[in-house]
Amino acid sequence: MRVDLSRVLFALAALALVVMVVLPLGWLVVTSVSGAHGFTLENYVTLFTDATMIRPFIITLGSSAAVAIACVLVAVPMGWCVARTDMPLRRLVRILVMASLVTPPFLGAIAWELLAAPNTGFLNQVARAAFHLDRSVHPFNVYSVAGLTFVNFLYTFPYAFVFVANALERIPADLEDASAILGAHPAQTAWRVTLPLILPAILAGALIAFLQSMTVFGSAAVLTLPAGFHTMTTRIWSLFQFPPKPALAAAASMPMLLLTFALLRAQQLVLGRKGYALVGGKGARRTIARLGAWKWAALAFCGLVLLNAIVLPYGALLDAAFVKIAPAVPTFTNLTLAHVNFVFFQLDATPVALRNTMVLALGAATIATALALVVGYLVARRAVPGWNVLGFLANAPIAIPSIVLGVGLFLAYTRPPLLLFGTLWIMLIAFVTIEFPAAYQQLTAVASSIHPELEEAARLLGATPLRVLRDVTAPLMRSGIVAAWCFVFIGAIREISAAILLFTAPTRTIAVVIYDLNESGDTGSIAVLGLLLMVVTFAVLALANRVPVITTAAEEYRA
Amino acid sequence: MLELRNVVKRFGGVPVVDGVDLMIPDGAFVALLGPSGCGKTTLLRLIAGFLSPDAGEISVGGKRLSAPGAVVPPERRRMSMIFQSYALWPHMTVEQNVAYGLRLRRLPRDEIARRVATICAAVQLDTLMQRYPGELSGGQQQRVALARSLVVEPQTLLLDEPLSNLDANLREEMRFEIRRLHDEFRYTTVYVTHDQGEAMATADLIVVLRGGRIEQTGTPEDIYGRPRSEFVARFVGGANVLPGRFAGLDAPFSIRLEDVALLSAAPAAGIAPIEGTVVRRVFLGSARDYVVEAGGEVVRITTPPQIDVQPGERVWLGFPPERCHRLEPTASGGE
Repeated sequence: MRVDLSRVLFALAALALVVMVVLPLGWLVVTSVSGAHGFTLENYVTLFTDATMIRPFIITLGSSAAVAIACVLVAVPMGWCVARTDMPLRRLVRILVMASLVTPPFLGAIAWELLAAPNTGFLNQVARAAFHLDRSVHPFNVYSVAGLTFVNFLYTFPYAFVFVANALERIPADLEDASAILGAHPAQTAWRVTLPLILPAILAGALIAFLQSMTVFGSAAVLTLPAGFHTMTTRIWSLFQFPPKPALAAAASMPMLLLTFALLRAQQLVLGRKGYALVGGKGARRTIARLGAWKWAALAFCGLVLLNAIVLPYGALLDAAFVKIAPAVPTFTNLTLAHVNFVFFQLDATPVALRNTMVLALGAATIATALALVVGYLVARRAVPGWNVLGFLANAPIAIPSIVLGVGLFLAYTRPPLLLFGTLWIMLIAFVTIEFPAAYQQLTAVASSIHPELEEAARLLGATPLRVLRDVTAPLMRSGIVAAWCFVFIGAIREISAAILLFTAPTRTIAVVIYDLNESGDTGSIAVLGLLLMVVTFAVLALANRVPVITTAAEEYRA
Repeated sequence: MLELRNVVKRFGGVPVVDGVDLMIPDGAFVALLGPSGCGKTTLLRLIAGFLSPDAGEISVGGKRLSAPGAVVPPERRRMSMIFQSYALWPHMTVEQNVAYGLRLRRLPRDEIARRVATICAAVQLDTLMQRYPGELSGGQQQRVALARSLVVEPQTLLLDEPLSNLDANLREEMRFEIRRLHDEFRYTTVYVTHDQGEAMATADLIVVLRGGRIEQTGTPEDIYGRPRSEFVARFVGGANVLPGRFAGLDAPFSIRLEDVALLSAAPAAGIAPIEGTVVRRVFLGSARDYVVEAGGEVVRITTPPQIDVQPGERVWLGFPPERCHRLEPTASGGE
């Protein structure tokens, strides 16, 4: 009985993962080598000879590399200031970095349009007024490779920051004290001990930043299309505009897919190197550097970054949402609720998009969490033969850029027997697949932290495996389940990269509507919808952070 | 009667339990003793039904519980187990932890309350019923684990290194507690440990395991006083293993530390003593421990505290023949 149940679960989970991962990737490969007369390599030839395919490739790699370098240059000192110094307002800085982590890049890009569009941009207007410049002069132009790089940097540096700050916090002070006692100057200790210890984290952060900006669609589309150039993602998207060339799009997805795979592998190697495992854990004491007067300089540095990532963009969005014609300095006379009224009561797309977004986010969060619970548990307990295959499949979506998955799903579900294109189902599959690894990693970690003896004790006292799940495992995993659900939910309500290829008019989501409105230049409505998205995001995050007492009790017990 | 017949368990082709035969009478207290990696915990988990044997079978009272491919699941074996980590559910109070097994058996409420109260009184937990495990000390957690296992009145109680997370004083106290409860409730106890002192203090029968096989089965007195092999003699730790020539034997023999005679002067005629030099002397309060180098061997000796010889001094060692136990020549080598 026991064996049968786990076998059935295993089969179902494996089947779901295969459908999620293997089916779209399979169609991607097949389509990329299919022509009108069977097998062909002509798509790949086009890929490497057509200048309109090569240029986006070069722009993307160059911009992403710049983003990665900038992320390291900013995240390392910032992470150090927050984790290891007496800089004031460290908590606030950390919270604001997290806020920029959850800001969808496309929303950030739209906000930066409000700030730095060549003609109307608020910063340009201020600069012109301040320096009495001509109307034709625009010091800032966000519609450029530099603008794209800057915006992508603002919303990817938090990844590098998290890696670095966590690594710095895990270094036990003993390691540095040992260096100091041998006569090393603090700078020598930092250079010879601390830096090498966090180097893997820095590299990992840089790789993630590179990957994020390479695969991002939303911000790229917002900023490149008006400027008339393409990145890899927008070029793929453009191949679905009339006349559609799905086969070329499939081929164009391959370099991105392979590069992502290679970089993630590299990251694994960097982080997995023996001897770099930092021991000590949470309880370890760490030294706090006293900055003296320099702490104000440190704060100014962090403040400058966050000014650009959070304060200015959100200020611009608030401004656009509540003044008559943005951008304008708000006064009592130009404040208005007209945009809010328009979005909620006049815009036809809103009710449908709101409903779709809610249905998709709730559905994706619930399905992904349930599936991740089963798979995560089976893998953490090695409960079935083939658990390692299951684990590999569960992590695989990380290596598939969302837009590539969108292409694959488009190819897989626009043909019989599964004609799902144009329905919410295809969007649901996309969202579940994209967000699944986050839920899976969260839940395997939680499942592994529950001592198997806790379950065995219940078995011996007479509980069946399902009863054990209900009475022991599930209650202990509850906070992890809530957190996983919230992650998926937040990811789903902001998803645009895959949705942009898969939506049709009746299946638009809020993110898609924002994107559409941006093309028509309706900044007020965009700002209202964007802020709505963020209010929901922060509300769900607050819910996730209200960790139930159980976890603390369980942690104390384990310790 | 708990019966194991030729039980084999392999992990990745390597036998971890390698043909164990064992009969444990009802109500006996048996200790499975051995160094880490000897297969004792695997054997316990086979008995509990968490693992399925690759060969052989396990039965209780003539009823077959485990055979290759046919294992009665743990929840239907009428066994209880104390885990090394205690495995108390952190999200349940002491009372809920203890009552869990009774709730699964669908006993009436007042019956559950009565039995929980009785067992908690027996292990002195009555004042802590509403606490969570995280709020208890190690010894108290151990008592909750005991109460939770015993309240369901198991036929067999399995203990997996239950004292290894406690400090020395508490360990001694809990040792006696475990034996006292066994004598009070008379279930069959199988106790896994790597600590020979624990095994001596609690068990009726000690099973010494090595490399997945039984090295020797016997009472504590047997194991300590008459080790059958060098491995047992060394592992149980109460004996020297010396070459036969020291006592005029044709094979290595074992002798307890306190049975070696330590003489500070060459004795008169009669026995042929071995001459040696004191290397180390440790005062233990009620006794002295000596390490003596003699005839190329290192001999450990425990003497009464009055016998006081300085390190470096010459001494003579006597090995009374009736205290020397000839070891089986097959059993050689260390751990």
